[in-house]
Amino acid sequence: MERSSSRLKVFAILVLVMFAALSTRLWFLQVLATQVYAKEAQNNGVREIAIDALRGEIWTADQYGKPNGEPLVKNRSSLEVRIDKQELEDSGMGEQVLGELSEMLDIPVEELRADLESTKYFDFQPKPVAEFVPEEVAFAIRERQERFPGVQVRNTSVREYPMGRSASHMVGWVGQVQAEQLQQPQYRAYGPNDLAGQSGLEVEYEKWLRGTNGLQRYVVNADGERIRDLGGREPTPGGDLVLALDGEWQRAAEAYLQDSILRTRQVYDEDSTSYFKADAGVVIVLDVKTGGVKAMASWPDFDPRWYVKGLSKGEECYLGYDPDCTGANKVAPLLDRAYQEVYLPGSTFKPFTALAAVKEGYADLGTPYACPSEYVHPGDTSGASFSNWSAQDLYPGNLAEHLIISCDSSFYAWGSDFWYRYQNDQLGENNEPLQRNLRAWGFEKPTGIDLPNEATGFLPDAEWGNAPEQRDLFPQKWNPGGYILTMIGSGYMSVTPLQLATAYGAIANGGHMCRPHVVDRVMASDGETVLKKVNGQCDRTVPYSKAELDYIRGALAQVPLRGTARSAFLGFPLSEVPVAGKTGTAFRGDQFQDTSWFASMVPADDPEYVVVAMVEQAGFGSDVAAPLVRRMIETMYDIEPGGPIVTQTGQD
Amino acid sequence: MDVVAGRVWADERRPIRHLDPTLLIVTAALVVVGLFAIYSATSQTLRADGFDPFSRVNKQAVTAVLGAVILLVMVTFDYRFLKVYAGFIYGAALLGLLLLQIPGLAASETGTSNFINIPGVSLLQISPSEFAKIGLIVILAAMLSELRSPVPTLPDLVRVIGVAGITMLLVFINVEIGTTIVLVAITVGMLVVAGTQAKHLVALAAAAIVLIVLAFQLNVVEEYQVERLLTVLDSGSVSEDARYNLEQSVIAVGSGGMFGRGYLHGSQTNLDYVPEQHTDFIFTVVGEEFGFIGSALVLALFALLLWRAIRIAYLSKDAFGTYLATGVASMFAIQIFVNVGMVIGIMPITGIPLPFLSYGGTAMLVNFIAIGILLNVHMRRFK
Repeated sequence: MERSSSRLKVFAILVLVMFAALSTRLWFLQVLATQVYAKEAQNNGVREIAIDALRGEIWTADQYGKPNGEPLVKNRSSLEVRIDKQELEDSGMGEQVLGELSEMLDIPVEELRADLESTKYFDFQPKPVAEFVPEEVAFAIRERQERFPGVQVRNTSVREYPMGRSASHMVGWVGQVQAEQLQQPQYRAYGPNDLAGQSGLEVEYEKWLRGTNGLQRYVVNADGERIRDLGGREPTPGGDLVLALDGEWQRAAEAYLQDSILRTRQVYDEDSTSYFKADAGVVIVLDVKTGGVKAMASWPDFDPRWYVKGLSKGEECYLGYDPDCTGANKVAPLLDRAYQEVYLPGSTFKPFTALAAVKEGYADLGTPYACPSEYVHPGDTSGASFSNWSAQDLYPGNLAEHLIISCDSSFYAWGSDFWYRYQNDQLGENNEPLQRNLRAWGFEKPTGIDLPNEATGFLPDAEWGNAPEQRDLFPQKWNPGGYILTMIGSGYMSVTPLQLATAYGAIANGGHMCRPHVVDRVMASDGETVLKKVNGQCDRTVPYSKAELDYIRGALAQVPLRGTARSAFLGFPLSEVPVAGKTGTAFRGDQFQDTSWFASMVPADDPEYVVVAMVEQAGFGSDVAAPLVRRMIETMYDIEPGGPIVTQTGQD
Repeated sequence: MDVVAGRVWADERRPIRHLDPTLLIVTAALVVVGLFAIYSATSQTLRADGFDPFSRVNKQAVTAVLGAVILLVMVTFDYRFLKVYAGFIYGAALLGLLLLQIPGLAASETGTSNFINIPGVSLLQISPSEFAKIGLIVILAAMLSELRSPVPTLPDLVRVIGVAGITMLLVFINVEIGTTIVLVAITVGMLVVAGTQAKHLVALAAAAIVLIVLAFQLNVVEEYQVERLLTVLDSGSVSEDARYNLEQSVIAVGSGGMFGRGYLHGSQTNLDYVPEQHTDFIFTVVGEEFGFIGSALVLALFALLLWRAIRIAYLSKDAFGTYLATGVASMFAIQIFVNVGMVIGIMPITGIPLPFLSYGGTAMLVNFIAIGILLNVHMRRFK
């Protein structure tokens, strides 16, 4: 076998090469690269699932801690069906699955398809198509998961609203986190399926309400069966919001506002020769010592429960998501008019402009001033005249009297003074003291309320008036009219009702500007630990003496007694609960009816609250807003309701 | 006294005194390693499903005992009887393969199967292609040992290729690429040792390539097999299943590290992440739970086995014995290389079991027969 021995050597060498190859590879896998594979093996077997934390509840001040208290917002669990579009399409069973789902969920296929095309979510996010799915339907889907590729059933907790649509603007709503949100850094930790606040307090206090998701880690085998629990982390429920809001007052504010609006619509307006449109309104009650929002109603409103069950076509239309839908309501019910919309404040603005005139030395507190029916800026030959609200010349009186009867013409004259100040020092740094004084009250700035998307309002000034864009309004550049109209809360300026209420709060509390807040404190879910106290931040003061502020308040206390709000407060026990207030009737231009305002402090001698009411296109402040405020105060001080909800006095 | 094959042995040359104990011990060691590995790979799942966790191991152990009995039978007669009956053995192997083509006998509802059900013995399924390996080794050894010229001439080669080709074809049409590869390796290994000229080998290789290309072109090869073959070549172009199989297997071996994760403590093994682990992917258990040390030891056992096989080929008293041992060595070598190579990702997934370790009845029996042949040649190496 000599010949074959050398060939066997060749054979043996071949075998050796094979073994060398295997050993080399094994050395690489098991010695050099083992860490990579050890990690992969670990990842293979260990699964993590997030356990959603229960979202915090929202309570009104009067219900929290009560034995049978009912929160404004609580949780309820819901079985939700979501579809992963990519997975569904990849399966090639799209049509069949949608058809079957449509039948099971009783939703038309077209609607399901529309949900899938929704751009509210990223492509990788499963799109919600149905909530509150009956248990047997959810079970049928889970049981035959292979026939429903990409279809998921999730047990989610959804919001429930024991108080119905009350405070809906402030509360807001919750939904699956949206694409736009996921791009922001504070949503970095959110999964595509997570819930997030979408408006109101729900979004403003998202980080408190959300809680911390729990984590369950366990070992699974290749079939995904759970083999062993590795423990994890319990979810921490979100904190509960305890509001400054008084639930009873809030409901009263909403009810009276709606009542007032509906009644006003039955009143015929001589000026516009039509019934009042009264298309929207606001009632605000602020605690003047803390800035706490005790009630804040905005009408028209919406029902947050619509979002929980999914918006119907009609609801989408009403809410303004589809501006082209037939019968679309243009009233923007989602807008919280208390702080997200701006208005001309009319005469309710006079206390602030009056104090500005006093501060700059154009007026004083004692001198009697005339109140003619018309005013022409001295030397103005253009024929422009500014009329008083009354066609007759009214009796002369001091500043207080002018506030009580709401004289306009004296304020026009002080407006001219502000014009001269500007004209004589056009390049000066402090040539527009009116605006500076008004800004001290927080106008043209957000109040800092703990709600999203606050409007800031506007104070016209020379820089604005001289800008080329304003050539239509001011052909010869900025002119006296800019100041004259601002003096009576008219013209080009604007404020939010909340700004006005906050400024009245400063008159009421002796000059402190309080940041308004809806939330009083955030409580941990144990009900004992205070996570965050939203203290009344009242550290800014207005630059007026206590005497000046008391003078104004004293004057306004006469308004319900014998001034423009007299008829609205007929029969009201002013001796027990004195009210200081100011009516306002803002002219919005010929195509609109006037805005009706009443801003008040109560009790007038030592104010606790500011109550402000505003109704759009409703005529005189004394006719609509003042009786509305009276109703509100009656509720707040347990006074028997009296007087009509709408009067017809024809007084500013 | 030993009267087998009509010969009276001198006492000191009695075959029973010249068993190869190393080979026996190596074989026994591999079987034991295999039993432990199978237990690790199957017990968890069996227990979870409510079965006896030992059921697979027990069955394999019984098969091994049966194999040992067959081994004993294989050493009782002179191996040269195999040469006498080579034609019959080869014919029987072909017949077995042909039986698979008869509908009704194949033990599968879906069509092709590698097993025949023996009527009345429901537990025992026989895989004819495994026996075909032995049949081919015996017939080729018989043919090559009878060559007139010192090296195979072209007509010799044509005859050898004809005989081997028929076997391969029958195995191949039954869609057993792995076994076909083993048959090719057996043939090539034996031809090399027979002294086939290099140019002839090259020509054979060229012909083989043409045939393989043709086979693919004519869609004789099932799609899933193409896929599995491609896994190693291009991991991007194959199905999720095949890639998953390979990935999990490599992760299992790689995660073992130097010393392994401990017996029954491999997570890949325990949690069933490696498909087909107790059969074709049994080496992953060794790799994961015993690490590089364990893997190297098992490879060393195989190397020892092959060394003994080659040594027996060398020591054989006649050409027939040399070729028999060469064929057996080729069979084991290619199976070890392709199987372990597949598990660690350097060879395609072809469905070749690892000798003595993989779970499976027929393969185990055939491996014992092969060892029996080696021992037989070794025992009777004296003239």
